[in-house]
Amino acid sequence: MKRVYKVLIALALVVGIQTSCTEEFLDLTPQQSVSNDDFLQAFGDFESALTGMYNQISLTDWYGRYMLLIPDIMGEDVKQNASANRAKEWAEYSGSNTTLHATEREFWFEIYEAINAANAVINSDFTPASGVQTEFNQLVGEAYAVRALAHFDLVRLYGQHYTFTAGATHPGVPIITEFDVTAKPSRNTVGEVYTQVINDFNQAISLMTLDNNSGRFSTEVAQALLSRVYLYMEDWANAEAMATAVINSGRYSLVSNADYANQFLDGDSPEAIMEIRFDLVDNPGSDHIGGMYKESGYGDYLPATDLLNMIPAGDVRGTMFRTDANLGGAFGNLRVDKFPSEGSIIATDNVPVIRLSEVILNRAEARARQNNDAGAQSDLTMIQERGLATFVSPGNTGQALLDEILVERRIELAFEGHGIFDSTRNQNDVVRDDCTAPAGKCSITYPNDRFVLALPLDELDVNPNIAQNPGY
Amino acid sequence: MRKFLLYSVAFLLLVSFNAMAQDRTISGKVLSSEDDTGLPGVNVLLKGTSTGAITDVDGNYRIVVPSTGGTLVFSFIGFTTIEEEIGSRNTIDITMSPDVAQLSEVVVVGYGSKTKEALTGSINTIDSKQLETIPVASFKDALQGIAGGVQVLAQDGTPGAAVSIRIRGIGSINASNEPLYVVDGIPVTSGSLSETDFGNFGRSTDVLNSINPNDIANITVLKDAASTAIYGARASNGVILITTKSGSAGAAKIDFKTQYGWSEIAFDNLLEGLNESQYRERFLENYVNAGSRTLAEATALYAQQFPEAAAGGVDNIWLESIQQQGTTAQYDLSFQGGTENFKYFVSGGYFDQDGIVINNKFERYSTRVNLSANVTDKLQFTNNLNLTFFDQRGITDGTRWQAPFYLAYLMAPSVPIFDDQGRFYGNHSSFFMGGNNPVGHLIEDERELKQSRIINNLSASYEIMENLTFKSAWSFDIINVDEHIFSNGRYGDGRNVGGTVNDAATDLTNWLGTQTLTYGKTFNDVHNFDALLGYEAQKVTEINLEATAEGFSHPTLKNMASAANPTGASNQTSEYAFNSYFLRTNYDYDGTYYLSASIRRDGSSRFGPSERWGTFWSVGGGYTLSNAGFMQGISAINFLKLRASYGVVGNANGFGNFAWAGLYAFNVEYDGVGGALWNQTRNENLTWESAENTNIGLDLTAFNNRLNFSFEYFTRESTDLILDRPLSGTTGFRDITENVGDMKNSGTEWNLSGTVVQSGDLKVDLSANITFLKNEITKLPSSILDGTKRREEGRDFQEYYLFGWAGVDDTNGDPLWYTNSTESATTNDITQAERYYQGKSATPDFYGSFSLNATYKGVTLSTQFNYQFGSYVYDGPGWVIHGDGRFTPRSTSTYAHNNRWTQPGQNATFPQQRWGGNQSSNTQNSSRYLFDGDFIRMRTVNVSYNLPTTLIDPTGLRAVQVYVRLNNFWTWVADDNLHFDPEQTINGFYNTVTPISKTVSLGLNIGL
Repeated sequence: MKRVYKVLIALALVVGIQTSCTEEFLDLTPQQSVSNDDFLQAFGDFESALTGMYNQISLTDWYGRYMLLIPDIMGEDVKQNASANRAKEWAEYSGSNTTLHATEREFWFEIYEAINAANAVINSDFTPASGVQTEFNQLVGEAYAVRALAHFDLVRLYGQHYTFTAGATHPGVPIITEFDVTAKPSRNTVGEVYTQVINDFNQAISLMTLDNNSGRFSTEVAQALLSRVYLYMEDWANAEAMATAVINSGRYSLVSNADYANQFLDGDSPEAIMEIRFDLVDNPGSDHIGGMYKESGYGDYLPATDLLNMIPAGDVRGTMFRTDANLGGAFGNLRVDKFPSEGSIIATDNVPVIRLSEVILNRAEARARQNNDAGAQSDLTMIQERGLATFVSPGNTGQALLDEILVERRIELAFEGHGIFDSTRNQNDVVRDDCTAPAGKCSITYPNDRFVLALPLDELDVNPNIAQNPGY
Repeated sequence: MRKFLLYSVAFLLLVSFNAMAQDRTISGKVLSSEDDTGLPGVNVLLKGTSTGAITDVDGNYRIVVPSTGGTLVFSFIGFTTIEEEIGSRNTIDITMSPDVAQLSEVVVVGYGSKTKEALTGSINTIDSKQLETIPVASFKDALQGIAGGVQVLAQDGTPGAAVSIRIRGIGSINASNEPLYVVDGIPVTSGSLSETDFGNFGRSTDVLNSINPNDIANITVLKDAASTAIYGARASNGVILITTKSGSAGAAKIDFKTQYGWSEIAFDNLLEGLNESQYRERFLENYVNAGSRTLAEATALYAQQFPEAAAGGVDNIWLESIQQQGTTAQYDLSFQGGTENFKYFVSGGYFDQDGIVINNKFERYSTRVNLSANVTDKLQFTNNLNLTFFDQRGITDGTRWQAPFYLAYLMAPSVPIFDDQGRFYGNHSSFFMGGNNPVGHLIEDERELKQSRIINNLSASYEIMENLTFKSAWSFDIINVDEHIFSNGRYGDGRNVGGTVNDAATDLTNWLGTQTLTYGKTFNDVHNFDALLGYEAQKVTEINLEATAEGFSHPTLKNMASAANPTGASNQTSEYAFNSYFLRTNYDYDGTYYLSASIRRDGSSRFGPSERWGTFWSVGGGYTLSNAGFMQGISAINFLKLRASYGVVGNANGFGNFAWAGLYAFNVEYDGVGGALWNQTRNENLTWESAENTNIGLDLTAFNNRLNFSFEYFTRESTDLILDRPLSGTTGFRDITENVGDMKNSGTEWNLSGTVVQSGDLKVDLSANITFLKNEITKLPSSILDGTKRREEGRDFQEYYLFGWAGVDDTNGDPLWYTNSTESATTNDITQAERYYQGKSATPDFYGSFSLNATYKGVTLSTQFNYQFGSYVYDGPGWVIHGDGRFTPRSTSTYAHNNRWTQPGQNATFPQQRWGGNQSSNTQNSSRYLFDGDFIRMRTVNVSYNLPTTLIDPTGLRAVQVYVRLNNFWTWVADDNLHFDPEQTINGFYNTVTPISKTVSLGLNIGL
């Protein structure tokens, strides 16, 4: 009996000596994260979620660098430095869908991540307290705008331009409006994606009533981007109407000639409609878009004389370059200085998403296309004379005026991510006269499969319903 | 443990003998041939009688025998029995030698120990002597080649670098492939805790470097389910048990060991950097080839950018400038001894290694106090305390600009080390890799890691009744890591912002409580039974604090306090817990038939509430054929045993603590406001990976114990692999952590060792082992592209998926690729080429080692060779170092420069070089950068000499040994074009890590 007693005590000791042997001991909660079951349950969560989306837009693989760089290096205004490395495959039209950490893959994943974040906000059934209903509507509206911009950028990168086929029935990108972890969607047509973009921007406009600063979406940002969307669709009337709404909102004015060169460095200029804000905390260093051009950064890309020759002598936009004695030969001696921050404030230039000068040029183009030469000329002159006060207009009309507007667009919006999009929507060949790419990669004829990026192999591997772009 | 048992036996024997009336007294001393010290507890018996005696702690004995004399029989467990005619002598001193083939050696297993002959599973043991043969900070290096099925991957050659171990192949895709490390019963934290860039993705530092190899008594490697299943959910990659030294009763022993070594790069075929005239040639030629500058323009640019070199007098081959003579100094002092009731082992160690790169070093101070006390005859306490501090100064690697073995090839030899003011040269900041200066960074920048660690294990055991013992063990493992990385503001990475600093502090606490009951009894003399029942709880908490800042105004100030702009601060806490029950039973019938079974139930906080608990188990059996009747007549065979085991073990390591949960992360910020991002999607079904392990083994000892052979066949079928299964990007996520996919490793391990010569004082032993390994992904829902490889069902996990390089077009120097896997057509346009499976894998077909050990009197020669065949290795940074001019105006290797295409008809290895690159010739993931990785390496050559007792006795010393040791002195590789060390890859991928060094060392061991 005594033995049994001893054994029982021993067993009790083994199991019972540690009081912690309960399920609670294993029930730990994460300390840096919040379970998605517990999130979007309070007004403040929605503010955090929107901040998360803006941060997403600011990433290197979106507006932080590549959304501006890729369209420009595929276009005519930029040539490669001898040491060019980053995204060089796209500049040389030799990209593939398996390149390690490839740009095309990162766009795809980062932008859809933002769409998913926006959907979580848009589809939430949370009801705010009545006192913050306006603010809540504003946040949901901004989420719609994020979703619209995301789909717009995806369809521009991965789909041929809107007018590539009649009715825009060629493949775009999958439209995602709900979270589904098992989703393996096929591609919507470009037309369907544009419809979704317009609907989302309009929904955003109907919800947003607050005057946000230029770092975030507001009604005018949505209208300004819509003017570009309609321009790409060649819906000239709506493009003009949206541009006019922004111009007449009274919230924006062109910066002066004197302030022009430092508008991104100073930030929040009167003509900034939306720009992605960078400060010392973001600290991307040489990974900022400016680092792609400057010798203090990677310095991979240089301005092409194709562009430089278009800028009138004395124009302020001709001052946004600086000389580099270590260049020379075919590389010229100039570097892009549009994003000049250096030293202790390096990489703090804001990055433009859209600004007033583009909206004015959008309207000028839309008016010219609608044979309103006078209206077009007055818009164009605003931009030309801001650049050079003594500018004398050649007094073009018709096609010549339209061509002049498109040239002005290149001068004004250079290095802001418009290059290839403006070429293709006008169905132009890409012709790079001042070119340091390998022979055969300097002139790309329209139409061309390679004007759009390859869908990432990762997507094709898991999604049998999606088709690769032709040519890859 | 073994000595403890021997003492116990001796003690029992001592009390059971009684002296009888005799005529004459014989006395003497019994010495061990191992260390010429007295051997206590030896049974001395007068043959044919029951008259006997036992030697005392110093090995002395007295025995009374009839005046007619007779024969004395000296016997002792583990030693060869000696019979000695007394004759007329009154003093008989003898030396006993260990019986090498003695199988009743006790080995450490999980939560206990076992005799070797009772094992049913697959286990390898390594003793302290084998551990001492490699002069590095980590004990893991010494495991290289010693055990079949164990692959040691010393990827990084920097002092204090991490060493990875793979036991029986790779069994997991996304979770850990590292074994569980258990030190004196504590599952300890292993790997890198570096939060900053210091750790180079875990390559360059390892918290286990806190353990002084000289404190280790032995290491046991558990490979199959029968031996690992007692560790349940963390056992599937095998378990490495480390047992530290303990004291033994008897006179105090003091040991002093010291060693000093000199090192340089081991691999002779490493790439060499260009000299100035070669680089100048390249600089000019590449501009002309590209057509972007005329020769005159290029010459002018050279003079402008490299004024010092253009004027002559700069010829700076950076690869040589960054190196130094490596040295290793090691000092260890230990004390051990005690009484039957109180034993101690106390040691202090100092290890100081300077690497082969300037300022690359590792310095360790370690102390250990292991005590055990018998408080009563039923109650015993032990406490093992280890306190260590180490200080590491590292270098970056991979394709980061400041990585010395990357930058040294790329930086122009026309850039001098110093400028005209005597400062490190930085005038090339605006046109050449940010003004990096490989030597300047090593001297002026800082990259440091300091670690303090305390591991303490306190246990009490109480014998509740005969055969039943309760043990309560309480352990903690506390690690503190401080890191500091500084980049100066004048040249290199910090140049744009006036210098940068990044500091981090990590605190990890790991506590563990283990309660066990053990029972052991023999019934009817032949039925031996023992059982272990246990409960264990463990919790690990890690807290990190990290901050960054920029802007230094004085060149000598490098701490964060002197920085102008704080740019980042972050703090995080993470924790996990385990809760476990386990049971093991062993039974044997008369030492012939063996059965064992174990089961463990583990609960882990790393899984959701519904999937938290898992059960793991094993069964094993053994049959000692040599005990069977039909074998009795075969005298050549001393021992023959068959073993088999099967079981299921788990893998719950190597992924996030909350991988199952859907999470919003709050580490994002925009415009000065913090935000949240949904960054992980939920999978509440996430659970353990399981591995079904089968093992069949055979042990044979023959020819008077002179030949040992063992064979193992194993399969390791991993199921429910935890995989970050790729999702369609349109879900908003790249992947979801799921249990999908199966993988199978199978193979055989062969071990042969034998005493080839044993005559007089000469003894020569040879041994060899070989492991054949095969890996296959047996289930995977969709293929996964992963760098150079693509995981696909039915293929080896490490099979390469690359563009097929077809060489250089001899007419124009263009790069050529095969268009597809048929390799029937070539193209110079990469967009027309496809990637395809190369039929080559990083998994070796077979690997192993062979060694020789010869002793003659006091001199011992031992040497070990390691080899590996059938694996292919990929030159990760090859696309940059051999970029054919893509990265203007970077330099390259002499190999590329001398083998480049320059004229039509030339059969060249490298395409025509031109700035801006030659038609994407350097495209990554190309078979151009894949090489045959076969190698044989002479791992150690060791010659030692034990001074004879006649020489040291007068000095009062116990033993003196001197030795000279060579490590990694000779390497053979199959591929002449392989220009990096094939041992320095992980999954076959080489990433310009610090080369492994060869070392010559002199050592002295003194025993008092």
